[in-house]
Amino acid sequence: MTDESVIPSTVRNNSAEKASNKIPVGCKDKNTFVPRFLTGVVVLTVLSLIYLNIDWLKLLSRVPDVGVVFWDLAHFDFSDMDIIFSSMLETVSIAVLSLLYSLILGIAFGMIAARNIFKITWLSVLTQSFFTFLRAVPTPVWVLLMLVCLGMGSEAGVAGLCVHTTAFFTKSFAQSFESISDETMEALEVTGTSRLSIFINAVLPAAFSQIVAWTGMRLETNFSECAILGMVGAGGIGYVISRNLQNYNYGSAGIAILLVFIVAYVIERLFVHIKKKI
Amino acid sequence: MTKRIPLIAREQKRMYTIFIAVALVLFIATSFYTNFNIMTLAQNSDAFWAFITKDFFPPALPKASRIPGVLSSVVVTLALAMSSTTIAAVLAFFVSLFASEKISPFPKLAKYVRGFATFLRNIPALVWAFILFSSLGIGTGVGFVALLITSFAFMVRAFVETIEDVSQDCVESLQAVGAGFWQRVWQAILPSCLNGFLSWFLYCIEVNIRASTIVGMVGGGGVGLTLFSYIKGFQYDIAFSIILLIAAMVIVVDRITGKLRKEILK
Repeated sequence: MTDESVIPSTVRNNSAEKASNKIPVGCKDKNTFVPRFLTGVVVLTVLSLIYLNIDWLKLLSRVPDVGVVFWDLAHFDFSDMDIIFSSMLETVSIAVLSLLYSLILGIAFGMIAARNIFKITWLSVLTQSFFTFLRAVPTPVWVLLMLVCLGMGSEAGVAGLCVHTTAFFTKSFAQSFESISDETMEALEVTGTSRLSIFINAVLPAAFSQIVAWTGMRLETNFSECAILGMVGAGGIGYVISRNLQNYNYGSAGIAILLVFIVAYVIERLFVHIKKKI
Repeated sequence: MTKRIPLIAREQKRMYTIFIAVALVLFIATSFYTNFNIMTLAQNSDAFWAFITKDFFPPALPKASRIPGVLSSVVVTLALAMSSTTIAAVLAFFVSLFASEKISPFPKLAKYVRGFATFLRNIPALVWAFILFSSLGIGTGVGFVALLITSFAFMVRAFVETIEDVSQDCVESLQAVGAGFWQRVWQAILPSCLNGFLSWFLYCIEVNIRASTIVGMVGGGGVGLTLFSYIKGFQYDIAFSIILLIAAMVIVVDRITGKLRKEILK
């Protein structure tokens, strides 16, 4: 019975194609999700633009001013070089130092957050959800709060950056640890190795290259985060940039911005280079 | 005499040693330079604890008359992120066509287009915001442009990588039969790269939600500005509930984009 119903339909299809002389190229069971998604995005964007109610004409009329500012920024003023360099060094130091502290904390918390190491599910879930919360709040917010607690200085910068970086590392390291095969773990378990020892001797070496990759990626982010921290009130190069811009010292601000670009670019290149090697 | 068999390959061992040595040297150098001492934190820990328990907890709601304002500022932040990312994605799509040497009609210019995008990308969004504030004045429009610049530059890089990862056979065979540039784009590149593009677009929305909060803090409007004004006004308990609100907003958006990404890459 099924055969009878199938055959005529194919014959009919064939004859229809012959009649129009066209082979259908479109895929019948295409993913219809993408067009719907795109429509949704367009509708949301239009609604957002209407809601924001930006005065485009006013904005456009001021565009020539942007050119003037860039022109001023390009007239480098080398008189404040020593301050710019020392604050740049401070920014880089804060970024690196917070990265190192977070690396240690991230490995420790990642060990707890990974489900396969201590096998205490409630502790893993608790750790993960706590760090999801910490990660969801942008870094400058943490730094602002640290500034309130600890006062001005590098401590607030390092501690504030550490919050977000540790949260990021915990999540990504836990993921790397969980991807290690259960066979390895089991083989060590039957020999009676303690859980901590399994972690140090089997899990950590296996995840090492991934840890390096995550660290490199985070250094990039940490530097740019650190560069903007000054703008919300902490020290470093961000403070130099915002102060100089507000005082119309465009020459010095231009150098500082250029320096931020150069350092960020060097870190990015370095990271690409290391990633290729691993 | 006992001969020990090394458990770790020598190559690997050397890599660990180098890694730890570099980390140690950096640690000492940077600690020395910034005068950062973990003990200072430990000494301040009681003040720290008092701050958390007294000023922060319990989170307090802002005055009832302020609540609609706070909620609408959240919508402003979301709207900023959404609209700037979409417009940046459309622009980045067209620019990335010219930034990839393999398909650009002007292969010699591709390097310069990419260089320009690298320049825009490596300057943080907040620095752009500050540069633009000093020329365009403070407001939502400027926050929009600042977010647009960085997400545009980021997506140009991501899109170019996506285009170059996809096999070039399709493009080549279309070229061989004499298809024009736009025909190649619509028939070969767009169908094979669209899902990759959309996945990057979703990632960029996640990033921009956070970035628009930060840009808001320095004058771009939205929930960042609200939070900043409460912190500056020493109303930490209200600030804490706004932090919770921001966290909830980010987590919800991350969940949604995660679901959508799975659906797209299926």
